[in-house]
Amino acid sequence: MVQIRNAAVAYKSLNGLICVYKPSCVSVQHVQHIIVTNLCRDLNALPDRPLEKRVEIVGATNAPMQVKLVPNYADDPLVAGPRYIHTDFRCSWATHLGLFSSGVLLLGINDGTKLTYLLNTGRPTRAFKVHGQLGKATDTYFWNGRTMERATFGHVTRAKMDKVVAHIQAAHQKTMYELSGLHMDSQTTYDLASEGLLRPANSKLPVIYGIKCVHFDPPNFTLEIQSVNEYDKYLWTLVHDLGVQLKTVAHCTGVQCIRQGKFDLRLALLRKHWQMEHLLNNMDECRQILEENEHLLKPKSAQLSV
Amino acid sequence: MNLCCTLKRCFLNNVKSIRGVSNSMNFFEKGKQVDKTLHSLEDVSEIEPYFPESFNLAAYVNSSQTLQNLLHLNVNLSKIEKRPHIASKILKLDFNNDMKNHILFIKDYVDEENIGQFITKNPLILCEPVEDLQVRINYLKSKHFSADQIKQIVNRNPFWLMFSTLRIDKRLGYFQQKFTLEGKEIRQLATNQPKIITYNLHHINTNSFVIKEEMGFTDIEVKYLILRTPKIWMINQKSLLDRFNYIHNVIKIEHSIILHHPNVLLCRSFRIKQRHLFLISLGRAQYDPNKENYVPITSLYEGSDVEFCRNHCKCHIDDFNLFLKTL
Repeated sequence: MVQIRNAAVAYKSLNGLICVYKPSCVSVQHVQHIIVTNLCRDLNALPDRPLEKRVEIVGATNAPMQVKLVPNYADDPLVAGPRYIHTDFRCSWATHLGLFSSGVLLLGINDGTKLTYLLNTGRPTRAFKVHGQLGKATDTYFWNGRTMERATFGHVTRAKMDKVVAHIQAAHQKTMYELSGLHMDSQTTYDLASEGLLRPANSKLPVIYGIKCVHFDPPNFTLEIQSVNEYDKYLWTLVHDLGVQLKTVAHCTGVQCIRQGKFDLRLALLRKHWQMEHLLNNMDECRQILEENEHLLKPKSAQLSV
Repeated sequence: MNLCCTLKRCFLNNVKSIRGVSNSMNFFEKGKQVDKTLHSLEDVSEIEPYFPESFNLAAYVNSSQTLQNLLHLNVNLSKIEKRPHIASKILKLDFNNDMKNHILFIKDYVDEENIGQFITKNPLILCEPVEDLQVRINYLKSKHFSADQIKQIVNRNPFWLMFSTLRIDKRLGYFQQKFTLEGKEIRQLATNQPKIITYNLHHINTNSFVIKEEMGFTDIEVKYLILRTPKIWMINQKSLLDRFNYIHNVIKIEHSIILHHPNVLLCRSFRIKQRHLFLISLGRAQYDPNKENYVPITSLYEGSDVEFCRNHCKCHIDDFNLFLKTL
């Protein structure tokens, strides 16, 4: 860990992207607020520049006057306030997570806010772990809604679940080509499609590249989803539709983002580590990842590379 | 705009009196110099420009001895100036005439290093007449509070001395009647947590309702709780109920055990949830002291995560961190 001796040096180096683990039931704004507050607190605790001095010229004006160097009381933190306050920091998110979703969240601090915009327009793919429960359907498709329906789920087996999930994946991959904005019967589409998976033309169209059921323990199950452009309500609806396809009902009990582009869970900082030294370390590691993968910020084609 | 106008006006009123005196003195000296040559300059060092309007006290602190004295006492002026009506009252005071007596009075009851914090939290105490403050201290002495207890009360609750004797009396009577406390116990309560006596009464009532009706504690248990951890009455009702709900209904801990360790209600719920779910995943969530592999409730909130892992989970902190990333 780097030893910081000076608040000014620390402030100058606090520019970049950080990767934090957002807890569930905490909004992204609240996360930003907590991080900026912690940074202000840590920076104000570090030693800073010495207090300024004032030049005072005293004495009677008709005799030789004295020039004195007195301490400037207006510079004292007790009078002028703490050296670093909230408005000194700009913090913006690169990709959004819903209130009830937990997982990897990318934030940009000060100069890193430019990077977050580029990262967002680069539309990184994300991997989610979606936990669901069979037998109950709610009005919001999530556990916090009113129960609308109940059904038995004894007939659902792992094989049936895998079959339905594979069907959903195939259907989504088919629509992916249609969403790319190209004409379906042309040669260009064929060339593009033969090279690999594509990104959709618009940032509002969610596309799912892969779904797999990783854990099946009725009534609970977990899906791993790789997708782009999705939002939390879309994933909840997906779980609900899955239940309908299995001739039972289901609702979502948790959404966890495990990967955003090349940024993994391993890199994400837990809530208890949201202090300045850990954040500076994290910023360094994120910067290395960005340098290795230029195409995250400026994608050259609609091809999926991550 | 309001702030700077009021600040300027107050400060000018303060300084004008001094300047008035010095101007008249200069005029007197002018007569003496009338027979000096024309080339001799007059002493104009006493004439100063008017103070500009300002949004903060920092513009005046270099010229005002009062503000500098407050600074030397470690008073945080930047916090006082955030509330303009208080700042204007403070600027109207003069150190030698008004503030000195108050500070000497407070020094008897507050430690020297805490005086600055005391005045920062409650600057209006410098506007209260010293006789009133003395009456309130005498009231406490008449109610058999020891000198040590009075010191503790004044130190920890800067707003206590702002309440008139009548109000404090009413409040203490209210607490005594509501929780059926004896004289010794109400003194203990006031010393342990003096802020609760001057807290928002509506808040205290709602919390009492939550603890008695919604959590289901009996009167004797409520009395035990208030003497042990009065802080429970000062936290938000919704979060209090939320925490109790999780501990009692989900982790299935009985009222009696919560009574023995009331601090568990003061810990934020996400911490308790994390540790409890980790213990479940390890299969060590056994809170019944009669069975084997017992884990005390205090482990859920006491100590750092490293100690928790080492003492109760018998695993490395990295495992706990990995688990937290799956929640």
